[in-house]
Amino acid sequence: MKNIPLRRHTASVAILIGAMLSYAQPSSALELGLGDWQAHGFVSQGYTLTSKYNAFGQSRSGGSLDFTEIGVNLLGHLQPNLLIAAQGMYRNAGGSDREDFRLDYANLDYHMMLDPQATIGVRLGRVKNPFGLYNDTRDVVWTRPGVFVPQSVYFDSLALRQPMISSDGGLFYGRYAVGDHAFTSELVISEPLDNSGGATEFLTGVPNAQGDMGGRPMFVGRMGYEWQEGRFRLLFSVVDLDRDFNSSTPGIASGNIKAFYPLASVQLNLEDWTFTGEYGQVTAERSGFVNDENTSESFYVQTEYRFMPNWSALLRYDSFTFDIDDRGGDHNAEKFNLPQHSFYARDLTVGLRWEFTRNWQLLSEYHSVWGTAWLSPQDNPDLSQRTGPERWDMFALMLSFRF
Amino acid sequence: MVVMLPCPGTAGADTTVVPYSLSKQSNQFSREDLREIFFGRRTRWPDGTTLRVYVLPDQHPVHVRFAKEVLGVYPYQLRSAWDRMIYSGTGTAPIVIDTVEQMQTVIKQTPGAIGYIEQ
Repeated sequence: MKNIPLRRHTASVAILIGAMLSYAQPSSALELGLGDWQAHGFVSQGYTLTSKYNAFGQSRSGGSLDFTEIGVNLLGHLQPNLLIAAQGMYRNAGGSDREDFRLDYANLDYHMMLDPQATIGVRLGRVKNPFGLYNDTRDVVWTRPGVFVPQSVYFDSLALRQPMISSDGGLFYGRYAVGDHAFTSELVISEPLDNSGGATEFLTGVPNAQGDMGGRPMFVGRMGYEWQEGRFRLLFSVVDLDRDFNSSTPGIASGNIKAFYPLASVQLNLEDWTFTGEYGQVTAERSGFVNDENTSESFYVQTEYRFMPNWSALLRYDSFTFDIDDRGGDHNAEKFNLPQHSFYARDLTVGLRWEFTRNWQLLSEYHSVWGTAWLSPQDNPDLSQRTGPERWDMFALMLSFRF
Repeated sequence: MVVMLPCPGTAGADTTVVPYSLSKQSNQFSREDLREIFFGRRTRWPDGTTLRVYVLPDQHPVHVRFAKEVLGVYPYQLRSAWDRMIYSGTGTAPIVIDTVEQMQTVIKQTPGAIGYIEQ
Protein backbone atom coordinates (compact mmCIF):
# COMPACT_ATOMS: atom_id res chain seq x y z
CA MET A 1 0.00 0.00 0.00
CA LYS A 2 2.56 2.49 1.21
CA ASN A 3 5.15 1.91 -1.50
CA ILE A 4 3.03 3.06 -4.40
CA PRO A 5 2.63 6.72 -3.38
CA LEU A 6 6.22 6.71 -2.14
CA ARG A 7 7.51 5.68 -5.53
CA ARG A 8 5.29 8.21 -7.24
CA HIS A 9 6.64 11.01 -5.05
CA THR A 10 10.23 9.95 -5.43
CA ALA A 11 9.86 9.82 -9.20
CA SER A 12 8.24 13.25 -9.38
CA VAL A 13 10.99 14.69 -7.19
CA ALA A 14 13.67 13.16 -9.41
CA ILE A 15 12.06 14.62 -12.52
CA LEU A 16 11.79 18.05 -10.92
CA ILE A 17 15.39 18.00 -9.72
CA GLY A 18 16.48 17.06 -13.24
CA ALA A 19 14.42 19.86 -14.74
CA MET A 20 15.87 22.36 -12.31
CA LEU A 21 19.45 21.24 -12.90
CA SER A 22 19.02 21.77 -16.61
CA TYR A 23 17.91 25.29 -15.76
CA ALA A 24 21.52 26.31 -15.27
CA GLN A 25 21.55 29.93 -14.04
CA PRO A 26 20.90 30.40 -10.35
CA SER A 27 18.93 33.55 -9.48
CA SER A 28 18.38 34.31 -13.16
CA ALA A 29 16.35 37.09 -14.59
CA LEU A 30 14.03 36.14 -17.37
CA GLU A 31 13.39 38.57 -20.17
CA LEU A 32 9.75 38.14 -21.13
CA GLY A 33 9.45 41.53 -22.74
CA LEU A 34 7.18 43.01 -20.05
CA GLY A 35 9.27 44.54 -17.31
CA ASP A 36 11.75 42.49 -15.28
CA TRP A 37 10.85 38.96 -14.23
CA GLN A 38 12.50 36.40 -11.96
CA ALA A 39 11.79 32.75 -11.42
CA HIS A 40 12.95 30.91 -8.32
CA GLY A 41 12.19 27.61 -6.71
CA PHE A 42 13.26 24.83 -4.40
CA VAL A 43 13.07 21.06 -4.07
CA SER A 44 13.52 19.57 -0.60
CA GLN A 45 13.34 15.91 0.29
CA GLY A 46 13.34 14.77 3.88
CA TYR A 47 13.93 11.46 5.58
CA THR A 48 12.53 10.87 9.06
CA LEU A 49 13.32 8.00 11.40
CA THR A 50 11.59 7.82 14.78
CA SER A 51 11.24 5.56 17.77
CA LYS A 52 7.88 4.75 19.41
CA TYR A 53 5.69 7.16 17.34
CA ASN A 54 5.34 8.27 13.72
CA ALA A 55 6.16 11.77 12.49
CA PHE A 56 5.97 12.92 8.87
CA GLY A 57 4.74 9.57 7.60
CA GLN A 58 5.24 6.01 8.81
CA SER A 59 8.67 6.82 10.20
CA ARG A 60 9.23 3.91 12.58
CA SER A 61 11.38 0.95 11.52
CA GLY A 62 13.11 1.95 8.30
CA GLY A 63 12.02 5.56 8.28
CA SER A 64 9.80 7.66 6.05
CA LEU A 65 10.40 9.66 2.87
CA ASP A 66 7.02 11.36 3.29
CA PHE A 67 8.43 14.82 3.63
CA THR A 68 8.70 16.61 0.30
CA GLU A 69 8.50 20.32 -0.39
CA ILE A 70 8.65 21.70 -3.92
CA GLY A 71 7.93 25.28 -4.88
CA VAL A 72 8.25 27.37 -8.00
CA ASN A 73 7.57 31.08 -8.11
CA LEU A 74 7.50 33.89 -10.61
CA LEU A 75 7.98 37.52 -9.62
CA GLY A 76 7.77 40.50 -11.91
CA HIS A 77 7.63 44.27 -11.74
CA LEU A 78 4.80 45.62 -13.87
CA GLN A 79 5.94 49.07 -12.77
CA PRO A 80 9.04 49.77 -10.67
CA ASN A 81 6.86 49.82 -7.53
CA LEU A 82 4.13 47.40 -8.64
CA LEU A 83 5.08 43.77 -8.11
CA ILE A 84 3.14 40.71 -9.19
CA ALA A 85 4.18 37.40 -7.64
CA ALA A 86 2.87 33.84 -7.39
CA GLN A 87 4.18 30.56 -6.00
CA GLY A 88 2.85 27.10 -6.58
CA MET A 89 3.78 24.44 -4.07
CA TYR A 90 3.71 20.72 -3.71
CA ARG A 91 3.95 19.45 -0.15
CA ASN A 92 3.67 16.01 1.32
CA ALA A 93 4.20 15.52 5.04
CA GLY A 94 2.66 12.15 5.77
CA GLY A 95 -0.80 11.92 7.29
CA SER A 96 -0.82 15.54 8.41
CA ASP A 97 -0.74 16.94 4.86
CA ARG A 98 -2.51 15.27 1.96
CA GLU A 99 -3.16 18.45 0.00
CA ASP A 100 -0.43 17.84 -2.61
CA PHE A 101 -0.38 20.85 -4.97
CA ARG A 102 -1.56 24.26 -3.78
CA LEU A 103 -1.33 27.93 -4.57
CA ASP A 104 0.95 29.24 -1.84
CA TYR A 105 0.71 32.94 -2.68
CA ALA A 106 -0.48 35.03 -5.60
CA ASN A 107 -0.44 38.72 -4.91
CA LEU A 108 -0.10 42.19 -6.31
CA ASP A 109 2.05 44.55 -4.25
CA TYR A 110 2.11 48.33 -4.58
CA HIS A 111 4.36 50.52 -2.44
CA MET A 112 5.18 54.20 -2.28
CA MET A 113 7.85 56.22 -0.53
CA LEU A 114 6.39 58.99 1.61
CA ASP A 115 9.88 60.37 2.13
CA PRO A 116 13.34 58.74 2.07
CA GLN A 117 12.67 57.27 5.55
CA ALA A 118 9.08 56.08 5.23
CA THR A 119 7.45 53.55 2.93
CA ILE A 120 3.88 52.30 2.87
CA GLY A 121 2.35 49.60 0.73
CA VAL A 122 -0.57 47.31 0.10
CA ARG A 123 -0.62 43.69 -1.04
CA LEU A 124 -3.76 42.05 -2.40
CA GLY A 125 -4.61 38.46 -3.27
CA ARG A 126 -3.43 35.31 -1.55
CA VAL A 127 -0.85 36.70 0.84
CA LYS A 128 1.57 34.99 3.20
CA ASN A 129 0.57 35.63 6.80
CA PRO A 130 3.17 37.76 8.60
CA PHE A 131 3.56 35.92 11.88
CA GLY A 132 6.68 35.48 13.98
CA LEU A 133 10.14 35.02 12.52
CA TYR A 134 9.52 32.05 10.25
CA ASN A 135 5.86 31.74 9.24
CA ASP A 136 6.09 33.70 5.97
CA THR A 137 8.57 31.26 4.43
CA ARG A 138 8.19 28.27 6.77
CA ASP A 139 8.04 25.71 3.95
CA VAL A 140 11.43 26.69 2.51
CA VAL A 141 14.25 24.98 4.36
CA TRP A 142 16.68 27.71 3.22
CA THR A 143 14.87 30.24 5.38
CA ARG A 144 14.08 28.20 8.49
CA PRO A 145 16.46 27.18 11.23
CA GLY A 146 16.51 23.44 10.51
CA VAL A 147 14.73 20.48 8.93
CA PHE A 148 11.64 21.42 10.94
CA VAL A 149 10.39 24.76 12.23
CA PRO A 150 9.98 24.77 16.03
CA GLN A 151 6.82 22.71 16.41
CA SER A 152 5.53 24.35 19.57
CA VAL A 153 5.09 27.69 17.83
CA TYR A 154 4.45 26.67 14.21
CA PHE A 155 2.45 23.40 14.57
CA ASP A 156 3.42 21.55 11.38
CA SER A 157 1.71 18.25 12.01
CA LEU A 158 -1.56 19.71 13.27
CA ALA A 159 -4.17 21.13 10.91
CA LEU A 160 -3.77 24.51 12.60
CA ARG A 161 -0.97 25.12 10.10
CA GLN A 162 -3.46 25.47 7.27
CA PRO A 163 -5.04 28.79 8.37
CA MET A 164 -1.59 30.02 9.49
CA ILE A 165 0.22 29.79 6.16
CA SER A 166 -1.48 32.17 3.78
CA SER A 167 -4.92 33.71 3.37
CA ASP A 168 -7.04 35.54 0.80
CA GLY A 169 -7.38 39.25 1.36
CA GLY A 170 -5.34 42.37 1.83
CA LEU A 171 -2.16 43.26 3.68
CA PHE A 172 -1.18 46.82 4.57
CA TYR A 173 2.39 47.56 5.58
CA GLY A 174 4.65 50.39 6.56
CA ARG A 175 8.32 50.87 7.34
CA TYR A 176 10.04 53.80 8.92
CA ALA A 177 13.83 53.80 9.02
CA VAL A 178 16.18 56.28 10.56
CA GLY A 179 19.91 55.52 10.59
CA ASP A 180 20.43 52.01 11.96
CA HIS A 181 16.87 51.80 13.34
CA ALA A 182 13.77 50.60 11.50
CA PHE A 183 10.20 50.17 12.62
CA THR A 184 7.85 47.93 10.64
CA SER A 185 4.19 47.08 10.81
CA GLU A 186 1.94 44.76 8.83
CA LEU A 187 -1.79 44.12 9.06
CA VAL A 188 -3.72 41.41 7.23
CA ILE A 189 -7.51 41.30 6.89
CA SER A 190 -8.41 38.13 5.09
CA GLU A 191 -10.42 35.00 4.61
CA PRO A 192 -8.46 32.16 6.27
CA LEU A 193 -7.93 28.86 4.45
CA ASP A 194 -9.86 26.96 7.12
CA ASN A 195 -12.04 24.89 4.82
CA SER A 196 -9.13 22.76 3.62
CA GLY A 197 -6.44 20.49 4.94
CA GLY A 198 -8.43 19.15 7.88
CA ALA A 199 -8.60 22.60 9.50
CA THR A 200 -12.34 22.35 10.20
CA GLU A 201 -11.85 19.07 12.00
CA PHE A 202 -8.95 20.47 13.99
CA LEU A 203 -10.56 23.79 14.94
CA THR A 204 -13.79 22.16 16.07
CA GLY A 205 -12.09 19.18 17.69
CA VAL A 206 -14.79 17.00 16.11
CA PRO A 207 -13.39 13.94 14.29
CA ASN A 208 -14.58 13.81 10.65
CA ALA A 209 -16.43 17.10 11.09
CA GLN A 210 -18.60 18.00 8.10
CA GLY A 211 -19.59 21.61 7.58
CA ASP A 212 -18.44 25.04 6.51
CA MET A 213 -16.38 27.63 8.28
CA GLY A 214 -17.51 31.20 7.76
CA GLY A 215 -18.05 34.50 9.48
CA ARG A 216 -15.73 37.32 10.33
CA PRO A 217 -12.45 37.75 8.41
CA MET A 218 -9.19 36.87 10.16
CA PHE A 219 -6.82 39.56 11.45
CA VAL A 220 -3.07 39.02 11.50
CA GLY A 221 -0.73 41.74 12.65
CA ARG A 222 3.00 42.07 13.17
CA MET A 223 5.00 45.01 14.49
CA GLY A 224 8.72 45.10 14.74
CA TYR A 225 11.90 46.94 15.52
CA GLU A 226 15.16 46.19 13.71
CA TRP A 227 18.64 47.43 14.39
CA GLN A 228 21.22 47.32 11.58
CA GLU A 229 19.09 45.32 9.15
CA GLY A 230 18.21 42.66 11.68
CA ARG A 231 21.36 42.25 13.76
CA PHE A 232 18.90 42.75 16.54
CA ARG A 233 15.24 42.13 15.89
CA LEU A 234 12.17 42.36 18.10
CA LEU A 235 8.74 41.37 16.80
CA PHE A 236 5.27 41.19 18.22
CA SER A 237 2.69 39.26 16.18
CA VAL A 238 -0.92 38.34 16.70
CA VAL A 239 -3.55 36.19 14.99
CA ASP A 240 -7.20 36.84 15.81
CA LEU A 241 -9.62 34.26 14.45
CA ASP A 242 -13.39 34.28 15.06
CA ARG A 243 -15.21 31.74 12.91
CA ASP A 244 -18.67 30.24 12.73
CA PHE A 245 -18.96 26.53 12.16
CA ASN A 246 -22.07 25.63 10.17
CA SER A 247 -22.40 21.96 10.94
CA SER A 248 -23.63 19.37 8.48
CA THR A 249 -22.39 16.59 10.76
CA PRO A 250 -25.22 14.39 12.12
CA GLY A 251 -25.57 14.89 15.86
CA ILE A 252 -23.20 17.88 16.01
CA ALA A 253 -24.62 21.38 16.48
CA SER A 254 -23.30 24.49 14.76
CA GLY A 255 -21.20 26.86 16.81
CA ASN A 256 -18.36 29.32 17.02
CA ILE A 257 -14.59 29.10 17.39
CA LYS A 258 -12.39 31.92 18.58
CA ALA A 259 -8.61 31.73 18.63
CA PHE A 260 -6.26 34.46 19.76
CA TYR A 261 -2.54 33.90 19.36
CA PRO A 262 -0.07 36.61 20.44
CA LEU A 263 3.62 35.86 19.88
CA ALA A 264 6.76 37.74 20.89
CA SER A 265 9.98 37.14 18.96
CA VAL A 266 13.54 38.23 19.59
CA GLN A 267 16.68 37.55 17.58
CA LEU A 268 20.33 38.55 17.82
CA ASN A 269 22.50 38.02 14.72
CA LEU A 270 26.24 38.13 15.36
CA GLU A 271 28.91 37.26 12.82
CA ASP A 272 29.14 33.57 13.78
CA TRP A 273 26.23 33.15 16.18
CA THR A 274 22.49 33.67 16.01
CA PHE A 275 20.35 33.59 19.16
CA THR A 276 16.58 33.30 18.81
CA GLY A 277 13.60 33.03 21.11
CA GLU A 278 9.85 33.14 20.60
CA TYR A 279 7.07 32.97 23.18
CA GLY A 280 3.32 32.82 22.62
CA GLN A 281 0.00 31.67 24.03
CA VAL A 282 -3.04 30.44 22.11
CA THR A 283 -6.40 31.07 23.71
CA ALA A 284 -9.12 29.00 22.06
CA GLU A 285 -12.82 29.25 22.85
CA ARG A 286 -15.42 26.94 21.38
CA SER A 287 -19.16 27.31 21.82
CA GLY A 288 -22.28 25.69 20.38
CA PHE A 289 -21.19 22.14 19.61
CA VAL A 290 -19.12 22.10 22.81
CA ASN A 291 -18.39 24.76 25.39
CA ASP A 292 -14.77 25.02 26.40
CA GLU A 293 -11.96 27.47 26.73
CA ASN A 294 -8.28 26.73 26.88
CA THR A 295 -4.98 28.60 26.89
CA SER A 296 -1.85 26.86 25.70
CA GLU A 297 1.77 27.98 25.86
CA SER A 298 4.47 27.76 23.19
CA PHE A 299 8.09 28.81 23.39
CA TYR A 300 11.57 27.93 22.25
CA VAL A 301 15.12 29.17 22.64
CA GLN A 302 17.61 28.44 19.91
CA THR A 303 21.17 29.10 18.88
CA GLU A 304 22.84 28.68 15.50
CA TYR A 305 26.63 28.65 15.16
CA ARG A 306 28.30 29.21 11.78
CA PHE A 307 31.60 27.49 12.60
CA MET A 308 32.93 27.16 9.03
CA PRO A 309 32.00 29.01 5.82
CA ASN A 310 29.51 26.32 4.69
CA TRP A 311 28.63 24.67 7.98
CA SER A 312 26.38 25.61 10.85
CA ALA A 313 25.16 23.89 13.98
CA LEU A 314 21.81 24.18 15.73
CA LEU A 315 20.78 23.75 19.36
CA ARG A 316 17.15 24.28 20.42
CA TYR A 317 14.86 23.68 23.35
CA ASP A 318 11.22 23.80 22.31
CA SER A 319 8.27 23.51 24.70
CA PHE A 320 4.52 23.22 24.20
CA THR A 321 1.97 23.03 27.01
CA PHE A 322 -1.67 22.42 26.05
CA ASP A 323 -3.18 24.00 29.15
CA ILE A 324 -1.31 26.58 31.22
CA ASP A 325 -3.49 25.68 34.21
CA ASP A 326 -2.59 22.00 33.91
CA ARG A 327 1.07 21.82 32.92
CA GLY A 328 1.53 18.16 33.77
CA GLY A 329 -1.67 17.17 31.96
CA ASP A 330 -3.20 15.33 34.98
CA HIS A 331 -6.63 16.97 34.87
CA ASN A 332 -6.96 16.92 31.10
CA ALA A 333 -5.84 13.28 30.99
CA GLU A 334 -8.75 12.41 33.24
CA LYS A 335 -11.22 14.69 31.46
CA PHE A 336 -10.45 13.44 27.93
CA ASN A 337 -9.37 9.92 28.86
CA LEU A 338 -5.98 10.39 27.18
CA PRO A 339 -2.42 9.92 28.44
CA GLN A 340 -0.94 12.84 30.37
CA HIS A 341 1.91 13.21 27.90
CA SER A 342 -0.49 14.07 25.08
CA PHE A 343 -0.94 17.48 26.71
CA TYR A 344 2.67 18.67 26.39
CA ALA A 345 5.82 18.24 24.31
CA ARG A 346 9.35 19.23 25.25
CA ASP A 347 11.80 18.83 22.42
CA LEU A 348 15.59 19.11 22.66
CA THR A 349 17.14 19.40 19.18
CA VAL A 350 20.68 19.35 17.82
CA GLY A 351 21.32 19.83 14.12
CA LEU A 352 23.95 20.30 11.46
CA ARG A 353 23.64 22.15 8.13
CA TRP A 354 26.07 21.82 5.24
CA GLU A 355 25.80 23.96 2.10
CA PHE A 356 28.07 21.72 0.07
CA THR A 357 27.87 23.70 -3.14
CA ARG A 358 26.08 26.84 -4.23
CA ASN A 359 22.30 26.24 -4.05
CA TRP A 360 22.52 22.76 -2.49
CA GLN A 361 22.40 21.86 1.16
CA LEU A 362 22.11 18.86 3.41
CA LEU A 363 20.71 19.07 6.93
CA SER A 364 20.58 16.54 9.71
CA GLU A 365 18.81 16.78 13.01
CA TYR A 366 18.23 14.76 16.15
CA HIS A 367 15.29 15.38 18.49
CA SER A 368 14.84 13.98 21.95
CA VAL A 369 11.18 14.53 22.81
CA TRP A 370 9.19 14.20 26.04
CA GLY A 371 5.47 14.28 25.31
CA THR A 372 3.27 13.71 22.28
CA ALA A 373 1.17 16.88 22.05
CA TRP A 374 2.13 17.94 18.50
CA LEU A 375 2.21 14.49 16.93
CA SER A 376 -0.19 13.98 14.05
CA PRO A 377 -3.18 11.78 14.98
CA GLN A 378 -3.35 10.74 11.29
CA ASP A 379 0.16 9.26 11.46
CA ASN A 380 -0.50 7.84 14.95
CA PRO A 381 -3.99 6.34 15.15
CA ASP A 382 -3.02 4.64 18.43
CA LEU A 383 -2.29 7.98 20.17
CA SER A 384 -5.63 7.96 21.96
CA GLN A 385 -4.87 4.65 23.62
CA ARG A 386 -3.24 5.18 26.95
CA THR A 387 -0.39 2.77 26.30
CA GLY A 388 2.35 4.78 24.56
CA PRO A 389 5.48 6.05 26.33
CA GLU A 390 6.26 9.67 27.12
CA ARG A 391 9.71 9.85 25.58
CA TRP A 392 10.60 9.26 21.93
CA ASP A 393 13.36 10.13 19.46
CA MET A 394 13.40 11.56 15.98
CA PHE A 395 16.25 11.68 13.49
CA ALA A 396 15.83 13.60 10.24
CA LEU A 397 17.78 14.35 7.09
CA MET A 398 16.89 16.82 4.39
CA LEU A 399 18.49 17.45 1.01
CA SER A 400 17.54 20.63 -0.78
CA PHE A 401 18.24 22.38 -4.05
CA ARG A 402 17.11 25.88 -4.92
CA PHE A 403 17.41 28.29 -7.78
CA MET B 1 30.33 57.97 -13.73
CA VAL B 2 31.65 55.95 -10.84
CA VAL B 3 30.45 56.67 -7.34
CA MET B 4 32.86 56.82 -4.43
CA LEU B 5 31.90 56.70 -0.82
CA PRO B 6 34.16 56.97 2.19
CA CYS B 7 34.74 53.43 3.42
CA PRO B 8 35.70 52.94 7.04
CA GLY B 9 37.27 49.70 8.15
CA THR B 10 39.45 49.03 5.11
CA ALA B 11 42.72 49.33 7.00
CA GLY B 12 45.27 46.92 5.60
CA ALA B 13 43.51 46.56 2.25
CA ASP B 14 45.04 48.52 -0.59
CA THR B 15 41.76 48.61 -2.49
CA THR B 16 38.31 49.90 -1.66
CA VAL B 17 34.96 48.48 -2.69
CA VAL B 18 32.58 51.08 -4.04
CA PRO B 19 29.10 51.14 -5.57
CA TYR B 20 29.24 51.17 -9.35
CA SER B 21 26.69 52.70 -11.67
CA LEU B 22 26.62 54.84 -14.78
CA SER B 23 23.78 56.94 -13.37
CA LYS B 24 24.72 60.31 -11.90
CA GLN B 25 21.80 59.95 -9.48
CA SER B 26 23.86 57.47 -7.45
CA ASN B 27 26.27 60.27 -6.46
CA GLN B 28 23.91 61.28 -3.70
CA PHE B 29 23.39 57.85 -2.14
CA SER B 30 24.08 57.52 1.57
CA ARG B 31 24.65 54.22 3.37
CA GLU B 32 20.92 54.23 4.25
CA ASP B 33 20.00 54.64 0.57
CA LEU B 34 22.36 51.82 -0.44
CA ARG B 35 20.84 49.53 2.20
CA GLU B 36 17.34 50.28 0.91
CA ILE B 37 18.53 49.42 -2.61
CA PHE B 38 20.63 46.32 -1.93
CA PHE B 39 18.14 44.84 0.53
CA GLY B 40 15.58 45.11 -2.28
CA ARG B 41 13.18 47.57 -0.68
CA ARG B 42 13.80 50.48 -3.04
CA THR B 43 13.01 49.69 -6.65
CA ARG B 44 13.17 53.12 -8.32
CA TRP B 45 15.81 55.73 -9.00
CA PRO B 46 15.00 59.22 -7.67
CA ASP B 47 13.70 60.11 -11.16
CA GLY B 48 11.22 57.19 -11.05
CA THR B 49 12.93 54.83 -13.50
CA THR B 50 13.56 51.15 -12.71
CA LEU B 51 16.52 50.24 -10.50
CA ARG B 52 18.30 47.02 -11.47
CA VAL B 53 20.56 45.64 -8.77
CA TYR B 54 23.53 43.31 -9.37
CA VAL B 55 25.64 41.46 -6.82
CA LEU B 56 28.46 38.90 -6.79
CA PRO B 57 28.02 35.40 -5.25
CA ASP B 58 27.54 35.31 -1.45
CA GLN B 59 31.08 34.15 -0.69
CA HIS B 60 32.90 36.29 -3.27
CA PRO B 61 35.50 38.38 -1.36
CA VAL B 62 34.34 41.60 -3.02
CA HIS B 63 30.72 40.86 -2.06
CA VAL B 64 31.75 40.15 1.52
CA ARG B 65 33.67 43.45 1.64
CA PHE B 66 30.78 45.38 0.08
CA ALA B 67 28.38 43.98 2.67
CA LYS B 68 30.62 44.67 5.63
CA GLU B 69 32.45 47.85 4.63
CA VAL B 70 29.84 49.71 2.59
CA LEU B 71 26.50 48.45 3.91
CA GLY B 72 27.72 47.60 7.42
CA VAL B 73 26.03 44.16 7.52
CA TYR B 74 27.05 40.49 7.37
CA PRO B 75 26.54 38.84 3.97
CA TYR B 76 24.12 36.30 5.49
CA GLN B 77 21.80 39.16 6.48
CA LEU B 78 21.44 40.07 2.80
CA ARG B 79 20.88 36.47 1.72
CA SER B 80 18.30 35.94 4.43
CA ALA B 81 16.38 39.11 3.46
CA TRP B 82 16.41 38.19 -0.26
CA ASP B 83 15.25 34.63 0.41
CA ARG B 84 12.41 35.85 2.59
CA MET B 85 11.28 38.21 -0.19
CA ILE B 86 11.38 35.81 -3.10
CA TYR B 87 9.76 32.91 -1.23
CA SER B 88 6.99 35.07 0.24
CA GLY B 89 6.27 37.07 -2.93
CA THR B 90 7.16 40.42 -1.40
CA GLY B 91 10.09 41.54 -3.56
CA THR B 92 12.73 40.55 -6.08
CA ALA B 93 16.33 39.71 -5.23
CA PRO B 94 19.39 41.24 -6.93
CA ILE B 95 20.76 39.36 -9.93
CA VAL B 96 23.91 37.36 -9.12
CA ILE B 97 26.86 37.87 -11.50
CA ASP B 98 29.87 35.55 -11.25
CA THR B 99 32.83 37.93 -11.66
CA VAL B 100 33.67 41.60 -11.18
CA GLU B 101 34.52 41.89 -14.89
CA GLN B 102 31.11 40.53 -15.92
CA MET B 103 29.46 42.86 -13.41
CA GLN B 104 31.12 45.91 -15.03
CA THR B 105 30.04 44.77 -18.50
CA VAL B 106 26.43 44.09 -17.46
CA ILE B 107 26.12 47.41 -15.65
CA LYS B 108 27.40 49.32 -18.69
CA GLN B 109 24.87 47.54 -20.91
CA THR B 110 21.79 47.66 -18.64
CA PRO B 111 19.77 50.84 -18.18
CA GLY B 112 19.27 51.74 -14.52
CA ALA B 113 21.83 49.21 -13.26
CA ILE B 114 23.79 49.44 -10.02
CA GLY B 115 26.36 47.09 -8.53
CA TYR B 116 29.79 47.47 -6.97
CA ILE B 117 33.46 47.08 -7.90
CA GLU B 118 36.85 46.94 -6.25
CA GLN B 119 39.24 49.78 -6.97
